[in-house]
Amino acid sequence: MIGTIASQQGLLLRRQRVALVGLGTMLAVTAMAGVLGWSSHHTIVRVFDQAVRLQAAAGQPAPPNPFLLKPSLSLLSNMVVYIPLIGALLALVVGHLSMVEDQSKGMGRLLFTRQVTRTQYALGKIVASTRFLAVTLTGCGLVSLVALLVVNRTLSPSDLGRLTGFYVLSWAYLVVFVLVGMLTALLTRRRSLALLSAIGVWLVITFVVPQFTSGLRPTQSLNPLTEPVGTSQAFFRVTQHAQSLSIVEQYKTAAGTILGTSPNSPTTETVLTIVPIVTAGFVLLVLVLWRIQRHDYARSASDE
Amino acid sequence: MNESTNRILQVARHEYRAAVRSRALIVLLAILVVATAVSVLVGATDYAAQLAEYDAYRAAAQAQGLTRIAPSPLAVLSLLRGAFEYLEIIGAIIAITLGYLSVSRERVSRTLPLLRSRPLTGTELATGSFLGALAIFTTLVAATAAVGVVALGTIGHDWINPAQGLRLALACVAALLYLSAFYCLGAIATAKAKMPANGLVIALGIWLLVVLVLPQIGDTLDADNQLPGGLFQALGLNHDGEVAVLTHFTGYERVRTGIEEASLAKHFERFAFAMSDVKERYRPYGLSWLLNETRNDIGWLFAYAAVLFLGLRRTLTRQQPIHNGGNS
Repeated sequence: MIGTIASQQGLLLRRQRVALVGLGTMLAVTAMAGVLGWSSHHTIVRVFDQAVRLQAAAGQPAPPNPFLLKPSLSLLSNMVVYIPLIGALLALVVGHLSMVEDQSKGMGRLLFTRQVTRTQYALGKIVASTRFLAVTLTGCGLVSLVALLVVNRTLSPSDLGRLTGFYVLSWAYLVVFVLVGMLTALLTRRRSLALLSAIGVWLVITFVVPQFTSGLRPTQSLNPLTEPVGTSQAFFRVTQHAQSLSIVEQYKTAAGTILGTSPNSPTTETVLTIVPIVTAGFVLLVLVLWRIQRHDYARSASDE
Repeated sequence: MNESTNRILQVARHEYRAAVRSRALIVLLAILVVATAVSVLVGATDYAAQLAEYDAYRAAAQAQGLTRIAPSPLAVLSLLRGAFEYLEIIGAIIAITLGYLSVSRERVSRTLPLLRSRPLTGTELATGSFLGALAIFTTLVAATAAVGVVALGTIGHDWINPAQGLRLALACVAALLYLSAFYCLGAIATAKAKMPANGLVIALGIWLLVVLVLPQIGDTLDADNQLPGGLFQALGLNHDGEVAVLTHFTGYERVRTGIEEASLAKHFERFAFAMSDVKERYRPYGLSWLLNETRNDIGWLFAYAAVLFLGLRRTLTRQQPIHNGGNS
C-alpha cells in the first residue's frame, strides 16, 4: 500500500508545475555553480599571470601557484550555499504540496474509507517526496560531474566518491525540510499559513540560529568563504554549546569536509556533524506520523 | 477632505487592521523582532566593552600629558548592521506575505470584484492598500530603530547624536521603499495567479533570486574571494599590486557590478550601510557627500518602488467588478 500511495504521489508531483519548476531551478542553479566555478578558475589563472608579470618586473620571485591552494572539488563550494537556500525551499514546497493537495480536494476523507492506515499513507507520501528529491539531486550530481570534467579535465575515483558523499549528505539535509513542510501542513488548515509557517522555520534554521550560536550575520550565510567571527563574548561562550543544534552549520561543516574545501577533520568528527541532521529528520518523522493519526480529514483544508 | 482621499484612507485603515489580525504575519514579525533585538543587544554589549577600553586608553594618555590621542575607531551606528540585514532578508518576506494576504483575503471572500463595483477606482484601491502596508512597515521599522537606539544608549553607553539620528532616519526611509517594492510584488503575483498560494510561491522565487542569489553571485565573482584568506594575499600582493592587477579586469568587474546592480537588495544594503557607518571608507564623510555617493542606489530604490506600484495599480484596475451579482 505504501508503494501505491508513493506511486500516486510521484505522479502528482510530476504533474504539479511548482514542483517541476523547482526541479528545473535546482538543475539551473547547479549549472550556474559550475559556470561560477569555471569563472573562478579562469580568474585565478588570469590574476596569477598578471601577478607573475608584476613580480618579474619588480625583480621578485614568482608567487606560489594558487591552484596548489585550491581543492579539486572547490567548484562545488557554491552548492554548499545553494542547497540550504534554494534546495531547502524546494524541499519545503514538495513536502507541503504532498500533504495539502489531498486535504483541500477532500481526497483524505475518501482515501481513508479504503483499507489504508494513516501510517502507510504518511510513509507513502514521504517515500514519494524523498524519491523526488533523490532524482533532483542525482540530476544535480550529473551536472556537477560534467562541470568538474570541463574545468578540471579529470576526476579521480576519490573525488567521485566525495561528490557522491556530498549529494547523499545534501539529500539527508533536504529530507528534514520535506518533513517540516509536511508537519506544518498537518498542523494548520490554511494552505498559506502552513507554507508561511514552514518558511518561518526555514528562516530561523538558516539565518537566525547561526547568528545566535556562532555570531554569523545573515548575509555571511550567502558566501561560501566566511571569515571566522569573534565569539569571545560571554553570550557566545554560552550559546556555542548549542552549535550542534544549528543543523545548517553542521551541514556546511560536513559538506566542506567531504568536498575537501575546508580543513580535513577526522572521520569521527564528520560523522558527529551529521548526527544532528539525522536526529532532526528522525524526530520530525515521528512527529509527522504522530500528527497524522490525529489529523481531522473530515474538515477540508482551505484552498487559500 | 475630498471623497477620493476619504476612500483611499478607508482602504488603508482596512489594510492596517486586517494585517494586524493575521497570525502568519504576526509570527513572521515576531521572528524578525527577536532576531533583530538579540543581534543589537549582543553588539551593544561588545561595544560597551570596547568603548570602556578606549576610554581607559584615553584617560591614561591624558594622564601622561599626551596631546595627540588616536580618535576612537568605534562607530555606534554600525551595530545596527544585523538589524538592516534582517530587514533585507526577513523584512522582504514579511512584505511579500502582506501583499499576498492583502489580495488573497479579498479573493477568498470574493470581495475584490465587489470592491471594484463600488465608486472606488483601481488607483484608489492600489493607493489605499499601498498606504496601509506603508503604515505597517513604518510601525515595524520605527520600532526596530527605537529598540536599536535605546539598546545602544543603555547597554552600549553611547547615545547617537542628531546627525547620526538623521542618517538613521534616511536609512529607515530606504527600508520603507525596499519593503514597499516587495509588498507590491507579493500583491501583483497573487492577483495574477490562478491560485493565490501559487502567486506566493512565485513571489518567493523572485525574492530568492533578488535577495539571495544575485548578491551571492556578485560576491562569489569577486577576484579576491576566490581563495580562503584572499587570492591577492595568497599571491603575496600588497594593495598596490592588487590595484595594478585589477586594472586588467575592468570588463570583468563591470559584469560583476552589473549583476549586483540588478539586485534591489544590494542597493538597499549599500545605502543603509553607508548611512550607518558599516563601511569604514564612508565614515570620514558628511551626509551630503554620502548622498551624492549613493545617488545611484537611491535612484534604483525609488525606481523599483515606483514601477512595482504602477504594476499593482494596473493589476488592481484590471480586476473585473461584479455587474449583475452571482457567484461568477
